[in-house]
Amino acid sequence: MTEGPASVPEQAEADSSGLGSRARDAAGTVRRAVHRRWAASLQLRTVVITAVLTMVSAAVLALFLTQQITSGLFQSRFDQVEAESNRGLSTARSIFGNSVSSDPDDTVQLVEDTLNSLAGQTGATVGRDLLLIPIEQSQNLYVGTRTTNNLDAGVIPEALAQAVQDGTGTYWQSISLPDSGGGTNPGLAFGTRVTLPPGNVYALYMVYDLSSVQQTLDYLMRVLVVAGAMLVMMNSLIAVYVTRSVVRPVSQAALTAESLSSGDLSVRMPVHGEDEMARLGTSFNRMADNIQDQITQLAELSQIQQRFVSDVSHELRTPLTTVRMAAEVLYDSREDFDPVNRRSTELLYHQVERFQALLADLLEITRFDAGAATVAAERTDLLHLAADVVLTAQPLASKADTEVFLVPSGTDVTAEVDPRRIERIVRNLINNAIEHGEGRPVDVILGSDEDSVAIIVRDHGIGMSAEQASRVFDRFWRADPARARTTGGSGLGLSIATEDTRLHHGRLDAWGEPGEGSAFRLTIPRRSGDAVGEGSPLQLPPVYTEDQRRRPTDIESTEPAGTAGLVLPDRVHEQALVRRPPETPTEEVR
Amino acid sequence: MKARILVVDDDEALSEMIGIVLRNDGFEPTFCADGAQALDMFRSTRPDLVLLDLMLPGMDGIEVCKAIRGESDTPIVMLTAKSDTSDVVRGLEAGADDYVPKPFKPAELVARVRARLREGEQRAPETLKIADLSIDVAGHQVTRGDSSIPLTPLEFDLLVALARKPWQVFTREMLLEEVWGYRHQADTRLVNVHVQRLRSKVEKDPENPQVVLTVRGVGYKAGQA
Repeated sequence: MTEGPASVPEQAEADSSGLGSRARDAAGTVRRAVHRRWAASLQLRTVVITAVLTMVSAAVLALFLTQQITSGLFQSRFDQVEAESNRGLSTARSIFGNSVSSDPDDTVQLVEDTLNSLAGQTGATVGRDLLLIPIEQSQNLYVGTRTTNNLDAGVIPEALAQAVQDGTGTYWQSISLPDSGGGTNPGLAFGTRVTLPPGNVYALYMVYDLSSVQQTLDYLMRVLVVAGAMLVMMNSLIAVYVTRSVVRPVSQAALTAESLSSGDLSVRMPVHGEDEMARLGTSFNRMADNIQDQITQLAELSQIQQRFVSDVSHELRTPLTTVRMAAEVLYDSREDFDPVNRRSTELLYHQVERFQALLADLLEITRFDAGAATVAAERTDLLHLAADVVLTAQPLASKADTEVFLVPSGTDVTAEVDPRRIERIVRNLINNAIEHGEGRPVDVILGSDEDSVAIIVRDHGIGMSAEQASRVFDRFWRADPARARTTGGSGLGLSIATEDTRLHHGRLDAWGEPGEGSAFRLTIPRRSGDAVGEGSPLQLPPVYTEDQRRRPTDIESTEPAGTAGLVLPDRVHEQALVRRPPETPTEEVR
Repeated sequence: MKARILVVDDDEALSEMIGIVLRNDGFEPTFCADGAQALDMFRSTRPDLVLLDLMLPGMDGIEVCKAIRGESDTPIVMLTAKSDTSDVVRGLEAGADDYVPKPFKPAELVARVRARLREGEQRAPETLKIADLSIDVAGHQVTRGDSSIPLTPLEFDLLVALARKPWQVFTREMLLEEVWGYRHQADTRLVNVHVQRLRSKVEKDPENPQVVLTVRGVGYKAGQA
């Protein structure tokens, strides 16, 4: 019973997958629906399989019974009629053989009497008729073909007639007799050779009508069919009842497990009695208890950690604010200091700034780890977002003597995103590119397809190996530990970008080639809640020409006037990363 | 005349540093390190603006904020270390006008203070209509019929900004720039909370606002006069 349900759906699947033709689509749909139903209901499968198996075994049993009964019944009848016919035929043969009459009328009378008496002498419940056929046609036949009950001589098969003609014994064969309704009844014919005066040879047959045996058999068949049908029905009902009583607790367990896995930790299975189902229920509930305890504990721990981080943040931020203000006051009046103090003041100022950025990044990562980060999605034009980030990064770019271009491709690069987070990702990537671009141009390429939007930030600087590209998103990882410490950044920028991307169900990948530069690709779904697949609207490394480059100021100028006030946010602590140090000469952005 | 600023913060070093910065920029700071004494200090010094740390010994910053707002319209700017928690919203709901997240730059602090003080701003005599209210801009008066509705300077500015351009739908970002003086996008919760506070004072039925209308998905606009 357990193997049946597993093997049959496989077969059904193979069948439905074989239907490739378009013309059979409708049939395929129906088949699939049936297949789904079949695969989904254990009860349906069990009942159908029980019914089919019962039907098959009942049929086999009926076949066997019919055969046994038929042959048994036939054999006993056969033995009976064989003995009878032998007796009758030899009686007739001796009567005919001993007759010495030479008068045709006497002979006819003798034949009539003998045949009639033999036809009447039947001990069996089957009727019999006699048939006398002359074997040779000769001139002085006293008697022609004689029958009782108008039996047609045509019922005797050729083979039997031949055997009787050639031999001296008694021969028999199964025959079919025409009945009154136009059909046939089974019968038996026994035949032997007899000699009648004046020495003519005849074939004498005894024909038995076995229709009463056939009726008995027919009746038996009907009884068997009805009994078989009842058996199938009863077995199916039993299967329904049994599977219901087993399946119901199982499907209840499935339902409970489903709601547990979807987050409702308080659900439990009802437990009745002490059978296997009760054991399953008890252990399931124990498991659920454990899971609930663990999760509650983890949630508590996470809350404690979050509170701790929050407290630490407050405790650290207050003195940091003081230090920072003091450093800034000193920094603003550094022109009055001697060179040693001036340089010290500058170092103090920049390092406090860096410390603050690091702290901010660290707290941000902690927030991600605690699962406290959320996406405030709104429809955003990523081209304008990118242009804005490039403009914000202009001071850093000028300082590094790097030009940053936009390469828009694809018409519509709007997506439902949290603009603050996407902006932070792009800013991180652009700052990174400027930092490692060695003064060569940095390109920000945008592309889109129906479901997703992609941004690639490409530099042509020192680049990186594939091994480095695979590790670049690790926390605090640096391609070149010796030199990286001198440049800003916390070492957490790309980790934060990864977390921001993950919140959007997007993907962030890196490509690099030593000496050729590197590229970072951000792919995000157009609609919030969707997830991006394996593909991306832009390939990595990106392919574009230099005349596709646009300056960010060109993009800004095309912006509709109404949204001009909507330029994107820049959080204070993040701004510090790209903030232009006052000693850099001011350069108007055109 | 120098604007007086009451700095309520339990961290002495920070208070002193804030004092140095404020003095540098021509303000006159006074200090209070204990929340429980903040209200007395406020009453005795009558400052033009209060800088208030949210975490205080003695009395919670939120409570201090409520107490001060209960008796005065003086602008209150919170100093907060937890910009991402509900503390900010609680502070704003308690009546604070704005907040500066720690760690902040001196220039940032001064910019926030100046934005709330609106130093030297002379308003031309002007009367605006919004819904069934009339606003006397120079006299800082809002009246419905014969009764005057008291508003804090911030709420007044918010109402005036909306009433000046009744045809314009203001996004939260536009209001942040116009009323709070943020050039970059800032925390839009400021707008949400203060619109609620304003409505609770000027609307007959705050559940069904007629003066400050919400434009779903965009922002706010003035009700028709």
